[in-house]
Parts: sequence; structure tokens; C-alpha cells
Amino acid sequence: MAELTANQLHAVAHDDHGHLSEEEQNDNLKLGVWLYLASEIVIFSIMIVGYILLRINEPDVVAHAHEELGVGLVTANTFVLLASSYFMVMGLRAMQQGNRAGMLRWIGATALGGTVFLIGQYIEYSELAHLGIVLGYSESQWSTLGMRFYAPTFFHGAHVFVGVVWALEVLRRGAKGRYDHNPIGIEMFGLYWHFVDVVWIMLFTLIYLV
Amino acid sequence: MATIAVPLGAEIESHEAEAVQRPALSEYLRWSVDHKIIGVQYGVASFLFFIIGGAMAMLIRLELWTPDLDVMVSGAAYNSLFTMHGTVMIFLFIIPMWAAFGNFVVPLQLGAKDMAFPWLNAFAFWLIPPAAIVVLLGYFVTPAEAGWTSYPPLSTLFSGDGQTLWALGAHLLGISSIMGSINFIVTIFNMRPPQMTIWRMPLLCWAVLATSIIAVMATPFLAGALTLLLLDRVAGTTFFDAAGGGDVLLWQNIFWFYSHPAVYIMVLPGMGVLSEVLSVHSRKPVFGYRMVGLSSMGIAFVGFTVWAHHMFTSLQPELRIPFMITTMIIAVPTGIKMFSWLGTIWGGKIRFTSAMLFALGFMSMFVIGGITGVMLAALPFDIHVHDTYFVVSHFHFVLFGGSVFAIYAALYHWFPKVTGRMMNERLGRIHFAFTYFGFLFTFFPMHIVGMLGMPRRVAVYDEAFANWNQLISFSAFVLGFSTFIVIYNIIRSYYRGPVAGANPWRALTLEWATTSPPPVTNFTDDPIPFEDPYGYGTEASAAYLDAVEAAFDGNENRTILD
Repeated sequence: MAELTANQLHAVAHDDHGHLSEEEQNDNLKLGVWLYLASEIVIFSIMIVGYILLRINEPDVVAHAHEELGVGLVTANTFVLLASSYFMVMGLRAMQQGNRAGMLRWIGATALGGTVFLIGQYIEYSELAHLGIVLGYSESQWSTLGMRFYAPTFFHGAHVFVGVVWALEVLRRGAKGRYDHNPIGIEMFGLYWHFVDVVWIMLFTLIYLV
Repeated sequence: MATIAVPLGAEIESHEAEAVQRPALSEYLRWSVDHKIIGVQYGVASFLFFIIGGAMAMLIRLELWTPDLDVMVSGAAYNSLFTMHGTVMIFLFIIPMWAAFGNFVVPLQLGAKDMAFPWLNAFAFWLIPPAAIVVLLGYFVTPAEAGWTSYPPLSTLFSGDGQTLWALGAHLLGISSIMGSINFIVTIFNMRPPQMTIWRMPLLCWAVLATSIIAVMATPFLAGALTLLLLDRVAGTTFFDAAGGGDVLLWQNIFWFYSHPAVYIMVLPGMGVLSEVLSVHSRKPVFGYRMVGLSSMGIAFVGFTVWAHHMFTSLQPELRIPFMITTMIIAVPTGIKMFSWLGTIWGGKIRFTSAMLFALGFMSMFVIGGITGVMLAALPFDIHVHDTYFVVSHFHFVLFGGSVFAIYAALYHWFPKVTGRMMNERLGRIHFAFTYFGFLFTFFPMHIVGMLGMPRRVAVYDEAFANWNQLISFSAFVLGFSTFIVIYNIIRSYYRGPVAGANPWRALTLEWATTSPPPVTNFTDDPIPFEDPYGYGTEASAAYLDAVEAAFDGNENRTILD
């Protein structure tokens, strides 16, 4: 028993201590982002449940909103967001192939897609406000829809906004060549951006289609 | 006898002569990314909040000395007092206090150089002071008075701006807790040296892992609920107002979906501490190591299925029985731990150190809290004692008799590692006696007045309970006094305590296989864990411990430099 321990004690390879290797650091960052996204799912799900309860309890309100609103604008918006996720994938791929200029173009397109989405959301909110659907409680019969619609969609919009800012930061660092040898920063942004996209597909299906 | 190599590689000779350098006190007031500094920062800050929350508890007991309203100006003032007491103790003391021990001890026990994300670690800590200021500021505007549970409509229609500040502060603390927990999970999964396999991991690390998984998955529920509450309060929405198409039960469901798992966030690390302390101080392997590790995971999982037992009186009746069953099931993994602790000390060479006394105090008090928990899970009994002092007694047995006793055990156990000095054992024993009896006679009689029908959260009560309440208040002051003993002991020992050496308890886990306090990189060489973190009583373990001692404490003249 003791012999074994002694052998074990000697059997260690000593690599340089102090700092983590790049690979270890990348693994840590990826796991960290996944855990962060797991906690985000919970917050979104609370708001989605709030909407589902309304859908079950007051189907008329939702039906009315569907009639007034139409899905043209939001479908186009969804398409833009989905496309931006594709640009994201292409951007990461370009960097992995060592093509920095290509990466900058694709990530630039991603940021642009996010911005277009936010403008679309702003137009939609204006139309809704015009219909009298607002966040706070009012005497209007649609007021129960307002808070349950705005809370999840605005929370999602805020995430898109953060994503756009993040994309610009990726562009700034990418232009300096920070990702030439280790594209982990782009990969982390990619995880976030795809997550924001998937959440939108959920919200789009639940709020506009069903 | 085999020769045992020292777990530090070849450079031992040079370490021997070196004096151990303690970080200057000013380093603790600055931004630092060293997990050991951050651990102490968490610890000292939480302890300050413990004193603040404790002072509030003393005021509560002073008010309840007589059946009439005499200390507080109004019932509302009393409401805001117990609201703050609960909030400070839970969000600002117990939860961050476990982050203190987790931060200091876990990377060392794993044999890691630091946490996975040192910067994030520091950031999570530095969110706490502003959050605390926001929460406590609420006390000076129109204070929150809806209890720490903040049920609407009390927290929406009948509370002032203090409630908004309360929600903002709690939000920040939740974010801090999520960041800290992500850091722990990544550290425990990814930062272990190759020899530290998952089944060699000390049980504190298992407990912190389970706790962190709960925190990452449950705390966002609190964040979501608080967001909706803030919208209700500030933006005029009616998520929790039935008059505007909202639902008050929505808050209760989401809140308890966080807060019941949060009970395990507060007590699981304590259970991990207990396995460490009982094993080391009774010189015996942990009984059923794997089962104890897995039972932490079991508690984490089942903990998510019991939340509605807090709502037996407001829930749809057909859901009561299922929640009664799940609540009783969670006693099983908890029972596994209790039997493991008994099996661990059974036949051991028990040393009644202060750490051991508090660990034994935990066992005896927590088992009472556990049993009253099963009693409260039984629906007919719960409805009888609902909202009485029986419930107050139950959760103080869990959170004080459990968490705080474990925090004290951890303090006495790891203080030598943190500061390089031993705490005074005699003062420790006196502290234990005051805490133990003060605690017992404060909270045990509450079971009785609760069963007799004394409601909680009221400043004015029936004359019939007056004698009991005087006993409770007197014991509470004894309990409050005990805190001064430990504060004195900490300060005195920090400066004058005997030099501890690397491994004063002769423990096998890796945090003891380095100097006290450890160097900035924790270990001067890659540490090698002993084959079994609790394998006491074998020739091999004795040889390993001798080797550690020879490596670090060989030089008799070693002194601690400030």
C-alpha cells in the first residue's frame, strides 16, 4: 500500500505550473458559458409560462391581437435573425480557416442582422402602442396581454442588443488579430448568439403562431 | 516501512527555511483575484452581516419580552425589523458565508492553483457590498415589511420604496450567487489535477458542487420573480395582482421554487464540512463515502420537487398529497448523511476540539430540525401549526442548529490554515457551551409555544405565552453574548495564537499539504492527493502525514511574518 503511494507520488509529470494552458482555459470558458445559458433558460421560461397562462385563461385576448397584428413583419424579422445565426457560423468557420477578413465580414453581417431585428421590433412595438396595448395595467380590455407580451419579447430584445454590442467588440478585437490563433472568443459569442436565436424561435412559435 | 516521498517534489529543502508570509491586512480591502483573499473577504463581510442580523434578532427578542408593544414604535416597525433580520441572515450571511469557505478551501482541496475564473470570482464578491447597501438603505426610507418571503399583495400594494430597494438588492445578490456558482462548477469539473479523480474528491467539494448546481438552476427563478415584482411595483404591470388579471400564487410558486432549493444551498456545504471535521477529529474514514457524495446530488435533485409544501394552505387541495410525499422522500438522502456521520465517529479516537464540538452540536440540533421537518411535511399537522412559532423553531433548528453550527465548526477547523495561527481551544469550548445552550433554550421552547398557538410575525401576543417568551428572550441574549466570545477569540488568535504549522489536525486532504497560510500559487509544486481523502488509521496514511510534516514543519525556528 505504502509502496504504491510512494510510486504515485513520483509519477507526476511536471508541466509549467502557475498558468493554465490555452486548451484548459478554452474548456473552462465554454463550460462557463453553457452554465450561464442554462440559468438564462430559467428566466425566459418564467416569462414564457406567464404568457402561456394567459393564452389558456383568456384565449379571446390573444386571438384579437393575432387578428390586428398579422405576422408579416415578425416573420421577416425572424428570418433576419435566423440568417444572422448562419452568418455567425460562417464567421467562426472563416476564423478557424485563418481567414480574418472573411471572419470580420461575416460577424459584421451578424451585427447588422441583430440591428435590423431590433428596428423591426421597435416598429412592431409602435404599432401595438397604437392599438392601445401597453405594458402597464389600463382599463383597456387588452391590458392583460400587454405585460405578458412585452416582458418576454423586450427581455429577448435586450439580449439581442447585448449580442450586437458583443459582436462589435468581437469585430474590434478580431481586427487587431486577437482571434488569429485562438478563436474561443468568437465561439463563446456564437454560443450566446445561437441561444438568443433559439429563444426567439420559441417565442415566435408560442406568441405569434400558436 | 516503505519510504514515502514528500508530495512536493524536489525543492523541499529550500522551502524549509522560508518564513511564511501572511498577506497584509490592507490586501483584504482591495480588489484581488486570489481565491484565498476573496474567501476571507467573503467571510469577514458575511460575519459583519451576521452581527447586524443578530443585533436585529436581539431587538426582536427584546420586543417579545412582554406581550405588549413596548420597544418598537408600531407593529409596522416590528414587521420591517423581522423582514430585515431574515433578509440579512439568508442573503447576506449564510449564502455568502459558504462562498467564503468554498472559495478558500475548495481549490486547495482539489489541488488547483486558483478558481477557474479568478476575475469573475472577485467581481461576484464585489457585487455584495453595493447590494447590501441597497437592501439596508431600504430600511431608512419606507422599509419593506412583507417578510423575507415578500408575498404579494403585501409586497406590491402595501409596501413602500424600501420594498423596491429590497428587490433590487436581492437581484444583485442573486447575480453574484449565480456567478460564484458557475465558477465553482467549472473549477470542480475542470481544474482537478489528473490524480484527483472524482471519487477521491473530498466531500466538501461534492457538497459545494451540489450546492452550485442548485444555485445555477434555482437562483434564476428568484431573478425572474424579482423582475416581475419590480415591474409590478415600478412599471404598473399586474403580474401578481388578481384585480388586474394577475395571480398572487404565481409569486409563491416561483419564489419557493427558488427558496426551497435555497435551503439546501444554505445547509449542504455545512453537511460537507461535517464529513470533513468528524472524520479528521475522530481519526476514522468517512462511513459510506460514495453514498454521502451521491446523497448530496440526491438532495439537490429532490430539492426541486418539494417547493409547494410551503403553500399547503394556499395550494389547490389535490396537489397537497404529492408534495407531502416528495417532502418526506427528501428525508432519505438527509438520513443517509446522518447515519454516515454516526458511523464515522463510531469507535473513532474522538478528540473534543472546538471544531468537533460544533460538528457534534450540528448533529444533535440538525436532527431535531430534520424531524420537525418531517412533522411539518405531514399535512394534517402542518395545517394545525401553520404560521406559528413551531415553524420558526423548525427553520432555526435547520439554519442555526445546522448552518451556523457548521460555520463555526469550519471556522475552528480551517482558521489555522487561513491565518497560520491556532484558535484558543479553551475559549472555543466556552463559546460552544454558550452557543449550544443559548440556542437550545431559545429555539426548543418555540416548539411548545407554537403548538399552543402563538402566531409568528406579531409583536403583540397572548399573556398566556409570556413566561415562555421570557425564557426564550433570556436564552437568546445568552446566544447573542456567545458571539462576542468568538469575535474576541478570532482577533486574539490572529495576533497571538500559537503557530499552527502546515497540518495541525494531521488531516489527509490536500489543503493541509501546503504551508499555512498557503503561498499565492497554493502549492509550490504539483500536489499529489493521498489515495483516499479519509483513509485514516492505516500505516500508509501515517507515513504520508509524517512526510507532509517533515516537508513543512521540519524547521523548528519557523515564524510567521505579518
